Amino acid sequence: MYRGRHVGYLEGLRYKGQENMLAWVLHRITGLGILILVGTHVIAAFFLNAIGDNISTTITTIYESKPMQVFVYFCVLYHALNGLRLIVEDLWPPLLRYHRELLWFQWLVFLPVFGLPAALMIVSLWSGGA
Amino acid sequence: MKIQLKIRRFNPETDKKPSWGKYEVEVEPTDRVLDALHYVKWYQDGTLTLRRSCAHGICGSDAVRINGRNRLACKVLIKDVGRKITVEPILGLPVVKDLVVDMQPFMDHYRSVMPYLINDEPPPVTERHQSIEERERFDDTTKCILCAACTTSCPSFWTMGQYVGPAAIVQAHRFIFDSRDRAGRERLNILAASDGVWRCRTIYNCTDACPRDIQVTQAIAEVKKEMLLNGL
Repeated sequence: MYRGRHVGYLEGLRYKGQENMLAWVLHRITGLGILILVGTHVIAAFFLNAIGDNISTTITTIYESKPMQVFVYFCVLYHALNGLRLIVEDLWPPLLRYHRELLWFQWLVFLPVFGLPAALMIVSLWSGGA
Repeated sequence: MKIQLKIRRFNPETDKKPSWGKYEVEVEPTDRVLDALHYVKWYQDGTLTLRRSCAHGICGSDAVRINGRNRLACKVLIKDVGRKITVEPILGLPVVKDLVVDMQPFMDHYRSVMPYLINDEPPPVTERHQSIEERERFDDTTKCILCAACTTSCPSFWTMGQYVGPAAIVQAHRFIFDSRDRAGRERLNILAASDGVWRCRTIYNCTDACPRDIQVTQAIAEVKKEMLLNGL
């Protein structure tokens, strides 16, 4: 069975897909972001039980920091909304003719729901909050 | 007008890696990219290898990447792509030479979905009747010309060559939804395998690349839904 000519990441990314290809790339990146968050939680819990709380506290400080929280919020919200859009499109295939409009609608929901809390978190960080 | 044509060249007999060939060609804005490629081949560098047959968007043999997107060279006008044009072979299939790729793996996937009418019932005295609505159900997917522009624009196919790819699913769709065909369930079973329709990530490159304007992603989603309705 043909296993494919290897198409490297860079060569693949050079392909000029449109906004949906960007959405797919972001879906992968945000999925990895969520994996990193869950992974650090598990590692922190492991160190807390196995060694003591020093390393655990360091890891917890990293993932509870405001920039990390903004990043995690971006990842979770984007991944969830994009996933919901794909579910809707899979269940009602005729909607796929309006895939651009659906994607714009997704961004229309995403931007205020992400932007407002993220802005508040960043402002609180600048004003000296932890 | 004068255009700069950058063509990805590769001769497996002499080259270790692909290189870029740069050419200046005098063309009309209403000429096609294929005309520019012909000019290079006929008057500047006879070693340039490309595939084309009808040259009118029907045979589907001149699918290439033009400025980073899969297109048929015979359907793209110079005025629509600018004065600097990059032409590369389509991705994911072995390059035979320059712009020519080996289509065999693509055709193997095509054959795997049994792209022909299957009906063992005794034929009626006249023809097998079909209403306008029944015919319309799969009208879009009858337009496929097997150019491979969709399959080779698909990131899922780039990473996993076993994936049957959009073109094969389009061909399966054409028969699954044909009221005269009786092997729809067999095709759905084939596409339900791990290398089948669920590899689609709804990226839409295929729909954008299709020179026949087939709603490829929609056809794939319809096959997915049919599988769910059939409990596969």
